[in-house]
This record gives sequence, structure tokens and C-alpha cells, in this order.
Amino acid sequence: MAAESQAGESERQIVVFTLGTESYGVDIASVREIIVMQRITPVPRTPEFVQGIINLRGRVIPVLDLRKHFGFDVKPPDKDQRIVVTDVDGEIVGIIVDSVFSVMRVPDSAIEPPSPMVTGPEAQYLTGIAKTEDRLIILLDISKIITDAEKRMLKEIDLAHAVLDEGDS
Amino acid sequence: MVPPPIEDSEEFGIFLDELGEMVELTEANLVELEKSPGDPGLISEVFRAMHTIKGGAATLGLEDGVKVTHAMETLLDEVRSGSRELDSSMVNLLFSVLDWLKVWRDALSTGLSRPSPVSLLEAIEEFSSSRASGPGLKMGHSVSGAGTSEMSLPPPLEESIENALAQGKTPAVLKVKFRRGAPFLSVRAYQVITYADEIADVLGSVPSIDEIERDAVGEELSVYFTPAEKGEVLVGAVSSVTDVTLVLVEPVGVSGTPKAGARSASPEEPESLAQHTAGECPVLDEPTTAAEVSVGPSAGGRGSVTDSGGEIQRQSEGAPENVGGTGNRESSKQPEAPTLAHHTPLVRKTDLGRTVRVDVSLLDFLMDTVGELVIQRTRLTQIASKLQAADETAAAGQDIGTLAAHLQRISQELQEGIMRARLLPLKNIFAKFPRLVRDLSAKCGKQVRFEMTGEDTELDRTVIEAIDDPLIHILRNAVDHGIETPEERLKKGKPPEGLIRLSAWHQENHVLIQVEDDGAGVDVEKVKESAVKKGLLSREAVSNLDEKQALELIFLPGFSTAEKPTEVSGRGVGMDVVRENLQRVNGTVEVRTRRGQGTTVSMRLPLTVAIMRALLVLAGGWVYAVPTSSVEEVVDFSGNDLQTIQGKPTIVVRGKVLPLISLQGVLEGAMWNVGKSCQYALLTRNGKSLMALAVDDLIGEEEIVVKEMGRLLSRVRGVAGATILADGDPAVILDVNYLV
Repeated sequence: MAAESQAGESERQIVVFTLGTESYGVDIASVREIIVMQRITPVPRTPEFVQGIINLRGRVIPVLDLRKHFGFDVKPPDKDQRIVVTDVDGEIVGIIVDSVFSVMRVPDSAIEPPSPMVTGPEAQYLTGIAKTEDRLIILLDISKIITDAEKRMLKEIDLAHAVLDEGDS
Repeated sequence: MVPPPIEDSEEFGIFLDELGEMVELTEANLVELEKSPGDPGLISEVFRAMHTIKGGAATLGLEDGVKVTHAMETLLDEVRSGSRELDSSMVNLLFSVLDWLKVWRDALSTGLSRPSPVSLLEAIEEFSSSRASGPGLKMGHSVSGAGTSEMSLPPPLEESIENALAQGKTPAVLKVKFRRGAPFLSVRAYQVITYADEIADVLGSVPSIDEIERDAVGEELSVYFTPAEKGEVLVGAVSSVTDVTLVLVEPVGVSGTPKAGARSASPEEPESLAQHTAGECPVLDEPTTAAEVSVGPSAGGRGSVTDSGGEIQRQSEGAPENVGGTGNRESSKQPEAPTLAHHTPLVRKTDLGRTVRVDVSLLDFLMDTVGELVIQRTRLTQIASKLQAADETAAAGQDIGTLAAHLQRISQELQEGIMRARLLPLKNIFAKFPRLVRDLSAKCGKQVRFEMTGEDTELDRTVIEAIDDPLIHILRNAVDHGIETPEERLKKGKPPEGLIRLSAWHQENHVLIQVEDDGAGVDVEKVKESAVKKGLLSREAVSNLDEKQALELIFLPGFSTAEKPTEVSGRGVGMDVVRENLQRVNGTVEVRTRRGQGTTVSMRLPLTVAIMRALLVLAGGWVYAVPTSSVEEVVDFSGNDLQTIQGKPTIVVRGKVLPLISLQGVLEGAMWNVGKSCQYALLTRNGKSLMALAVDDLIGEEEIVVKEMGRLLSRVRGVAGATILADGDPAVILDVNYLV
């Protein structure tokens, strides 16, 4: 969310995490909490990027693997991995990231609109690039990621498969 | 611009609820009115609904709503007085009023821009002037003060007043006005009538006791009673009711209207009381015929009560001394109502005072908490058995085991209680269907008689929500595709009017809901053709299907038999969505059809959904929950050799050869791949045929709490939800009906 800094310049608060060598940022308003990696129960018949479900204090929430979702190489689990629990309009979804770097305030002036040069699978969720002293942070729109995940889920539910199977048996 | 009302206030919420109920009620009444035109009871109800809405709108300063309902009220009053006939064009006008009210209500509740009443008001005005026979619209008239005295009385009441007069009795009317926007008006009204009934013979009331029970209460209440001499006592008694601001008694003449020379009761300190209430209470428009008694929240009214007689005496004795303060007024007075209410022949005592509106989120919270309790209890049982197994802790284990058993009983009762609290009658969604069918059939040029039974059947609210859209869709289909046009029907030798019957009833632990029509039936060949055309199946596959299997095709996503999407049936929503919605709440849907004779869609729903008994099984290293209701038997086949038929594994159970399907395999897309680790088979029914589902191990049968997994995972085929196991890990609940 945009906020006024002391200098009177508006700024955003973002949660910065890493995937591979890149840094990503999401609006802090869409992040509910960050939890350590835990055992994730797989849900059958879901696309690969759906890692499964976890118990978040009595609530069952889906967990997505952002690496798989973006089509990056799979990384073996390690102790730095975190689940960023996001809340978009009450829909709670966990997202696995390599590590969480920090929460940062980034002045609006340091944010550039996404360059057309940046392409790739994540291009559609890009909202901008934030430049800080030591890194470039790719800003993501969580709600777009989840909407996209939903679309991909639906696409992968095989329509006629079931009836054909029935004819089979 | 009307200044925005206090949208967060309780009154506003209550008004919206009431408005919704009134609109729904009126809709049903209008559909009935079309069937029996001129029914005075129905007309009165419609009138009363408009009046109630008007009252509520006026209280909140919602002028548009007041104007619309007032205009309609005026027209309806002409109907009631016999100077206008309620014909179909007026019913249609009333329907458009309801439609406007719905849009208006939505706008009020969402805070979006409100619809303009101008064109509707013009339509009403035009209607009323085109065949003006009555006084027409009087928009300048002060509506907020429009009270019961302006209206003629409902016929039954009028009759009993006339009877009383004929018998030489002296009927009178007790007029009570409640504080503006006071909550629980129906309870207050009920209290007033109860008091009145204790003291005098109550002839009836406006609003009637039925309406009060339905919460159709405005700020004013008139109670007709005999003999008039009891008036004084009554005023005293009624003055003590919470939120009553004004009480007066008037004698009643022949037509139920007050006549001059009223008797009235006056308290000891009328002046100070009048001052007290002047700011908030508009005085009733009755200048000379009656003296007025204003009763504020102070104890002044009791002055006249104390010297008026035994029964009332009791009431005043019971009243605490500090009645001047408003703080504990309600809590101190409410418990007294039951002590006064014993012998009341005219007033039906239902559960009015024993029901409470509870926020759904509170119920959900309780439900979740009980769910957690059940999980913890299961955990305790496990710990107990561990302790019992070791010698040194056996005794402690025994104790904990007993405790766990107790806890089980208690939590189960608690659970059942909460489940019952979540039940709602189907009326909640059924109420709008008569109108829906009426509108649809008009649009499609069909003649339809719509019958409804079982709307009092209760179901868990989650289930009710889930079946609303499916039912709308099924009814649409029945009107649009099922029932033929009158000409076609006549050609086939059927009556021109088609029949659609919606029925609901209990069957063991389930509720069945059925939509039957006597229309054309589903053309199975057309269904097959359509499936091929849409690329859902090959022509070959289709030709192998029997009729029942072919009918199943309509549940495939993207299937619709309509040659072209029509306005009525629309696009996008299909029977696949119907099935999916039902699946979410563990329901099933089935279609039966007979060419030329009609179609029946049956839905089978569990009474409640959130908690179920399930078999926990192990497959491929993960625990899955399978609802016990869908498992007929568990077979240990570890000792047996697997037979294969055409390369597919089968097992023989009591001479029956069943296909053996691997659970892990079917989840991973290789259903015939039964691993060596498999020991047990769950015999489950898939449609009509029995199949065996091979699993690695059985963990046990447990009561599990069904958890949703969020929108993202809500549509996975064969997955009904998730539950949290005793160790805290979530497990997937499988829906075996949709596994294969």
C-alpha cells in the first residue's frame, strides 16, 4: 500500500523473498504471515505446482510451489524455505519460496513499470521493478498468480476422461 | 440526495431482513393471488407487507421506499374497499414494485447507488389514474404517521367486532405506539396482547397475532377488545411494556372505527411524561376523540396501575424501583412476561419468545471449535490406549480412557446441538420459486402449474446454500426444455397446462428433493448426438452407451441440449455445475426421463455436512478418508491370489467377480495397477455397479470434521474436501463416486 514517508514521498511496503538468484516482492497487505516449511499433504489430481495442503491452525489451506508455477527448476527442500501465507479477498493460499529476505519500504520513485524487455512466465503477474541499493526486486501481484493458478487447475481437469473410463470398465 | 441513513445501525440491518422477508412473502402471495383472484386474505397480506415496509422505510428516512410502498398501499386499499379490482395488470404492476424493492434492497445493503423510483411511481400513478376509482395518490400526505386508524379492518376482525356489538358488548380499541426503531417489536407487541388478554376479552389485533409471529410489526399496534370499561386497567398494564411510548383507548363503532366520546386513562403525572417523550415520539393524529397517555421509560404509568386491580398490581410490584433509568430496564422486565401469561384463549402461544437470531459466523465458530474438540478427544483416546498397553501406566490409561469416553458423549451431544441450530427450512429458498416459474413460463409462452410440497423440510444451511442455484437451473430447464408449448401439448393429447412439481421430504439420514415435470422428456439420441458434436465423446463410444449412461452425458462440463442458448436457459451454467454444487455438500443428483411423459430430477442430500464418519485408509504412504456411507464392506484379500480378466485384476467376493481398482493407482492415473502392498479392498458402489478399491492398510473408522480446502481446490474430481487427523496433519477426503 502506498504510504507517506517522512519526507512526504509515497512509498510501498513489500515482503521480499527469493527464488533462485532473483528477489521478488509482494504487497505486505496481501501477506497474512510467513511460516516455516512443514510436511505438506499432496492432493491427488492437481497440477504439479499445487504442492498440497497444510493445517493452518485448524484451517486447511492449499500450498503452491512458486518455482514449479513459474516453471523454474525444482529445488530440494532446505531449512531456508518458507511458506508465505497470502490472503486475497479472504482466499488463503500458501506459497513456497526459497527464503524470505525482509520487509522493506520502497519509495514509489524507486519503482519502475515492468519493462517490455522482461518476459517469461512471470511477466503477466509483474507490477513493476523496485530498485534498491543492492538489488532489483521484481514486484508481483499475488491475486493474479492465484487467479492464474485457478485457471490452470480448471484447464487440467480432463473433461471427457471420466466418461471414456466408464465405457472402458 | 437523501442523507445516507445509519447503515451500520441495528435497525438498518433489521429493516433489510424484514424487507427481504416481506418481498419474498408478497411474491408468494401474488402468485397465489393469480390463482385465486380477489382472495381478501391474500390481498390483506400484500397490503400489510407494503405497510410494514413503508413503516420501516419511514423510520430510517428512506423516502423512495416510502413513496413506492405508499403508492402501492393506496391502490391496494382501493382493492380492499372494493372500489378497484385486482386484475392481472395490477398483479404485474405489483411484481414490478417487488422487483424495484429487490434492487433497492440490494443497493441499500451494498451501499451502491440506489435505483430511481421515478419511472415506477409514474407507472403506478398512470395505472391508478387510468382506472381511477378511488382517491388516487396522495404523495404529500404525511406517511410516517399513517397509522392503523386509517385502514379498514381485516374482515374476520370486523366480523368479530360486529358480533360483539350485536351481543350488546362494548368493543374498544387499545392503540399502542412503540418507540421509533425499537428492537424486538414483535415481542413487545406480543407482550401487549398477552396483557390485554389477561385483562379483557381480545377480539383481534392489527397487525394480527399471525403477523406478529411473522415479525410483521410496525411501530403501531391496535388491540380490539371488550368490554370498554377495562380500558383504564389495560392502559396501566400496557404502559409498563418496554419501548411503549403512547397508549390510548377508544371505543369502537360499527365499522371498527373509533367514535367520539372516548374513554381514556390518564396517569398521575401526564405533563412530565409528555415532556419526556415529546422529542422522540410523534403524537398520534387523534386530536379530540381521546385523551392521550404518554408513557416514557419512567415509572409514571404505574400511578394508575397501582390502584386499578389485582392482576396489574402484580406487574407493578414486580417492577424494580429504579425504573427511571434505562440501563437495566429490559433485563429487569422481560422475565415477568411469563408470569402474566397463563390463560390466554385467543392468543396462540408459539415459540416467539423462545427463538433467538444468531449470527451465522458465531455458529460457524462454534462448529469449528467443536470440531477441534472432537479431534482432541480422538487424540486422548489414542493416548489412553498407549498408556494402557504399558504395565506401569495401565491404571492411568484406564482412567484417561474413561475420561475420553465421557468426553466423547458430551462432545457428541454438543455437536448434534450445534448441527440442529444450523438447520433451516427449505422455505428459505423455495419461497421465490413460484414467481420464478411464473415469470419463466410467461417468457417462454408456456402454461405451467407449479406445485410445491415439503418446504418445511429442514437442512443444514450450507446445504441449502449449495442447492439454491442448482434448483433454479433445474426449474429453468423444466420450463424451457421440459414443458411443451400449449399447442404441442394439445397435439399430443395432454392438457395445455403443464405441471412442474417440486417436492422435498426426509428419508432416513437424507433429504430428497425432486423436480418432476410432465413435459416432453429428454431425447436421449439428441443427447448422444450433441455429445459427439461437441467433441466430448467419439461416435463409437456413444453408440455403446445404454440409455442411463447416455443420460449421464448431460452432466459433462460444456454440455447443453439446447440448439441455441436461450434467454431463459442461458449459457455457461449447466448440469455439470448442478452436480458439482451437490457434490460439494455430499449430495447426488440423478435424472430419469420418459419420452413424451416427462423428466424427474432427484437430488439426495445429507441432513448435515460438516461432520461425517469416515474410514481412514493408507495408500501410497498417505492417509485418505473415505466416507463410511459409501463403503459397503471391507475385504481382506492379502491371502488370495489376484485373478485377472483381460489383464485387469479382479477379486471374488461371495461368488461375485468384482473389478479391483488400486486407490493409489486411480489417483495417479493408472487404476489397474494394484501394488503388492495392497491388503484390503473397500467395496464401494459406483453408480449401480460394485467395485473393489485396493488400499495398503486400514487405520480405522473415525468421525471426521470436513474442512474446505479453499476455492483453488474446490473442484478437484474425486476429492470432497479435507480433514485434520489426530496428529494435526491434513488428509484428503475422497469421494468414491467420482474417483473412476
